[in-house]
Amino acid sequence: MRRTTSAVIGIGEVPTGKYPERSELDAAVTASREAILDAGLSPRDIDMVLPVGALASRHFNVDLVFSRLCEELGMNRSAKMNCQIMAGGATSSAVLAVADALIANGQAKRILCVHSDAVGSLPRQAGIDLFATTGVSEEWEAPFGHNMNAVGALASQRYMYETGTTEAELAAVCVSLRKWAMLNPNAMFRTPLTIEDVMGSKLVATPLRAKQCNMLADGAAAFIVADAAEAGSHCEMPAYVRGHGSLVTHYSISQERDLARLGFPEAAREAYAEAGIGPDAIQLASIYDAYPVWPLMSLDGLNLCRGERAGAFVAAGETSPGGSLPMTTNGGMLSQGHTGVGGGIAVMVEAFRQLMGKAGERQVANLVNAVETASGGTWMDSHVTILSREAA
Amino acid sequence: MTAPVRPLPQPSAWSAPFWQAARENRLVIQRCNACDEKIMFPRRYCPSCLSDDLGYVAAKGTGEIYTLTTQMAGPPSGFEDLLPYVIAVIRLDEDVQMMSNIIGPGALSARIGDRVQVDFHPVPGTDTVLPVFRLAEED
Repeated sequence: MRRTTSAVIGIGEVPTGKYPERSELDAAVTASREAILDAGLSPRDIDMVLPVGALASRHFNVDLVFSRLCEELGMNRSAKMNCQIMAGGATSSAVLAVADALIANGQAKRILCVHSDAVGSLPRQAGIDLFATTGVSEEWEAPFGHNMNAVGALASQRYMYETGTTEAELAAVCVSLRKWAMLNPNAMFRTPLTIEDVMGSKLVATPLRAKQCNMLADGAAAFIVADAAEAGSHCEMPAYVRGHGSLVTHYSISQERDLARLGFPEAAREAYAEAGIGPDAIQLASIYDAYPVWPLMSLDGLNLCRGERAGAFVAAGETSPGGSLPMTTNGGMLSQGHTGVGGGIAVMVEAFRQLMGKAGERQVANLVNAVETASGGTWMDSHVTILSREAA
Repeated sequence: MTAPVRPLPQPSAWSAPFWQAARENRLVIQRCNACDEKIMFPRRYCPSCLSDDLGYVAAKGTGEIYTLTTQMAGPPSGFEDLLPYVIAVIRLDEDVQMMSNIIGPGALSARIGDRVQVDFHPVPGTDTVLPVFRLAEED
């Protein structure tokens, strides 16, 4: 077990959806301002800014790299470093790990991590083509018509083949996420969804149907990571960072040799050991989704289904409101919306929100420990982070 | 408006022999002359021992489907007219994996574990030949 060195003390988020009139900068500074104020800080209390990668606009991303947010938020000559962190969908876990390490080494006391992007306002085909380059080999995969929905489909097929998971169980993941999203004012999709709705939607890439494929969205979220020693003086219930484990398993999905598991078992073992917290002591799972197969694979790897098959566990309602293991209570990318790299940031911020006791209607009762997962590109890596209301 | 062009491989110095072999209807696998590692996809250096002494050997051209999907809608630009098409990860008998398409009789009902045999598809209007796979005929 590792001594706790950092905690999240403030969060901010703007609504996710199609907001063509809202600029990425507007969303970035709005979410950042909310996080700074939530932590009870002023901008000059922040000593480092770690903006994460944005995909839709190269110009905006260059602004993130070149300290635009420090200037906009009044941190010129007070911020020690502005440095972009980018690991695709895994950036949530990765930026938290980097922030935790910087604080552990005494390099920083309070770090602003922020994401903003507008992939939802891209024309539909531009969105498909953009994500057909994020971890898809231009030479060895793109010539065969590969694309991001096919990534989810290829993994779903192999996972179903090895575990016996059914199409209805995949659909049940979407339904569970939607039930949570209906309680989330920042979510893009908030109308009721049934297994029949999912199974009746059109086939996109077998076995995946339209409602099992995420919708690209605009959004932004931010959080403040602080030295654990001072976290309690800023925040009534900080979200302590307890453990992290990760493993890179491939770049191109065609080189993955264990597509029904990836690196989640190894990452989970490492994270649980570092945290000194096991699966039986987890009350909330904030799981990177994007397609329904990944939460199932993650639940298996994290050993969170009490020996049951993840598909059966989810289909029985265990991850829905009122279930024994609330999962991804913001609705995930499948219902809150997929903001590019920010889809994972939103899933992580939701775990902070729950631990900080700020989740409103969807607040999980008697919560102490939560697990967060993420993966980037074509699920190139498996990240597991353990968060808690208690420091070690 | 002209139809969007599908993406084509732009070979590197070290992958060019693979694509040249495909034009000659041969499937080849990169091999490290220092440690015998079979390498897919072709790399600049051997990922096992970092040697730059790499060559190519003939593949049997047979293998099995590790996973697959039939793209029914929402394809990337350039593939609109090819729907529905089958994307598959093939595990070759040499125990390396590659992405390809399944074409020919039974392609749309192919399943994981099915045996496949390489074929070669010249992309019309280009000098690119893609290695693709057909379901193997029963012995």
